[in-house]
Amino acid sequence: MSLTFSLAHFMGGIILLCAFLQLSQRRLAAMITLYQTEALVLSAAAFWQGYAQGELNLYLTGLITFTLKAVLLPWGLREIVRRFNMVRAVETALPMAMAMILGLALIGVAVLVLLPVTMGTLSLTREDLAIALSVVLLGLLLMILRRNALAQIIGFLSMENGLVLAAIGMPGMPFVAEFSVALLVLLAFLVVGAFLFRIREHFDTLDLSGLEKIERRGR
Amino acid sequence: MNFAALAIALPFLAAALLGLVGAPRQGAIGNAVASALLFGLTLSVFWGHSAGLVAVDPLAALFGTVSGFVGLTASLVNIGYVTADAARMPDQRWRLYHALFQIALGASLLGLYADNIGLLWAAMEGGTIAMTLGVSLYRTPTGLEAAWKYFILGGVGIGLALFGTMLVYLAAQPALGPGFSAMSFRALSAHAAHMDGALLTLAFVFILFGYGTKAALVPLHGWLPDAYAEGPAPLTTALSGLLINVALLAILRFRHLLAANPEAMRPGPFLLSLGLASLFLAAFSFSRRRDARRFFGFSSIEQSGISAFAFGIGGPAAIFGGLLHMLLHTLLKSGLFLALIRAASLRGSASPGNYTFSHLRGLLQANKYVAWLLGACIFALTGLPPSGLFASEFIIISQTIQRNPYMSLPLGLGLLLCAVAILRNVGPLLFAPAPYEKPQPAGRGIWLVAVHLALVFLLAFAMPGPLVHLLSRAAETLR
Repeated sequence: MSLTFSLAHFMGGIILLCAFLQLSQRRLAAMITLYQTEALVLSAAAFWQGYAQGELNLYLTGLITFTLKAVLLPWGLREIVRRFNMVRAVETALPMAMAMILGLALIGVAVLVLLPVTMGTLSLTREDLAIALSVVLLGLLLMILRRNALAQIIGFLSMENGLVLAAIGMPGMPFVAEFSVALLVLLAFLVVGAFLFRIREHFDTLDLSGLEKIERRGR
Repeated sequence: MNFAALAIALPFLAAALLGLVGAPRQGAIGNAVASALLFGLTLSVFWGHSAGLVAVDPLAALFGTVSGFVGLTASLVNIGYVTADAARMPDQRWRLYHALFQIALGASLLGLYADNIGLLWAAMEGGTIAMTLGVSLYRTPTGLEAAWKYFILGGVGIGLALFGTMLVYLAAQPALGPGFSAMSFRALSAHAAHMDGALLTLAFVFILFGYGTKAALVPLHGWLPDAYAEGPAPLTTALSGLLINVALLAILRFRHLLAANPEAMRPGPFLLSLGLASLFLAAFSFSRRRDARRFFGFSSIEQSGISAFAFGIGGPAAIFGGLLHMLLHTLLKSGLFLALIRAASLRGSASPGNYTFSHLRGLLQANKYVAWLLGACIFALTGLPPSGLFASEFIIISQTIQRNPYMSLPLGLGLLLCAVAILRNVGPLLFAPAPYEKPQPAGRGIWLVAVHLALVFLLAFAMPGPLVHLLSRAAETLR
């Protein structure tokens, strides 16, 4: 039992660290690498929870997380970065130090909110949940602080990792694999959406046949 | 027979079919046929019985029928819209459009009928994806921008709602143990008193902000006016009210869990403040809106806020008022948008960007039927008698005076401001002098707007007995 605890907490800690480090990165490539590490550890955590809880579903979640989030999505994101040559394109709304202080405050909030509330439940779930909420809040912060569409998506992806981390820690919760698939579909659409967005910014047009007068009407 | 499962499956099957084959006009006709079948199925749900993941209570069946009806009328008006606009997009994109129409319908039915908080969440997510793709369908820069806003805000809302859903599951552990029963609304509300109160409160905050994004309650409303204004009108405006209903009903059901738990915080203040904020933001945003669809988008925010306010007041009568308000507003608003689509096509085209008030003014010259029906819909939106919304707003205000008198003053003020702002637009839209134009035929399907209006009037002032019974039973169990 103690090994279950310490390994689960260790992996949760790495995920939290990756989410936090993303706040301080100026380069998209580094953010993608951090995201990839996060997804890799998340899939390991899902396998570990599947083994500890004896749930076949969680192995499936781990497999999905590994193939799609740790391999395919980062590859797609890197491809977008390469095609549009946005290696150093990340603009931030706040100085890095400020962002990190805010991030620390959010982690504090997550712990202070969740630990007293979950006194009654299993301690494994408790601490995992606090870590997961921190990851979710850090992802939201990242989305607010970055102006670049792709960086916002990485923030969203990171937030979603936090959600999956919370889901795999729930004792015997049905639908965990389905949740992660459903979220992935949303993510895929987000990435495609960002792709279209970039194309439009880049070439100033996408497919505007028959639309000569484009103006901002009636805002 | 489990008609509810059939009613959920039909739109998704139709979406697969409509997405693969057909010219635009054929697709529109197929879409209308599928929607007509679906309306029949949603009616039959009242007589079927269902169990398991899709277990329908009468309230869900009622809202499902309204969704089916709105889908049917929107799909009928849609035929004319597609025929006039077919050349603006390649055939493939029209197929996608019709598939999205059905997916949006199917997702809102799944959200209403599911007796499982996980399925409810999946339905909201499916609806979000369908709507975002719909908003960006014309690929205009403003459309893409609106879709991006919807992606980001909707995605965050979906994420928060999932976290809340998991916390509800965790809060139910002491009462129900692991497994499916801890995710079923029936089991949850039966055992709400034994759930972990503190955890439930936290879960409700996440759920309120998650589903509140989809219900366009105020700090989270940013996507709605843009999404209404930029997408193809039958899909993103006439149908999107259905997803707002799903979100509001979800909030109402989770609110009931909180209200039934002795340790949890009272949900009232949260809902009251979000509702009032929505009302006042809408009241002050009405002026200076030049695009009619954006304008009526703000009115949807207002109405959603009124329902949330009613749920916040609590008690069976106020919840009855809130539910009635949702029903009437859905019927009225979709009727209004159908009239607006006809009005815009009288002036040339009904594609996005042709809905500015200055472009539409003086409608009476173009066609008097369309103009009077649109005028009647807009007037009804203010909630002044003899509009149907008067009945529901009257119930809500009188309950507020009874239960929380201090809140009745801001509510009344907000309603008044909104009514004045909406009324100001009726005159110019109908009577303003416009350059001479030959009166045009109203086009087929305009009678559907009259049906919507008549239904709103009937439901408000001469509601059939069984329906009153159904709604008051539902309000009693959800108080």
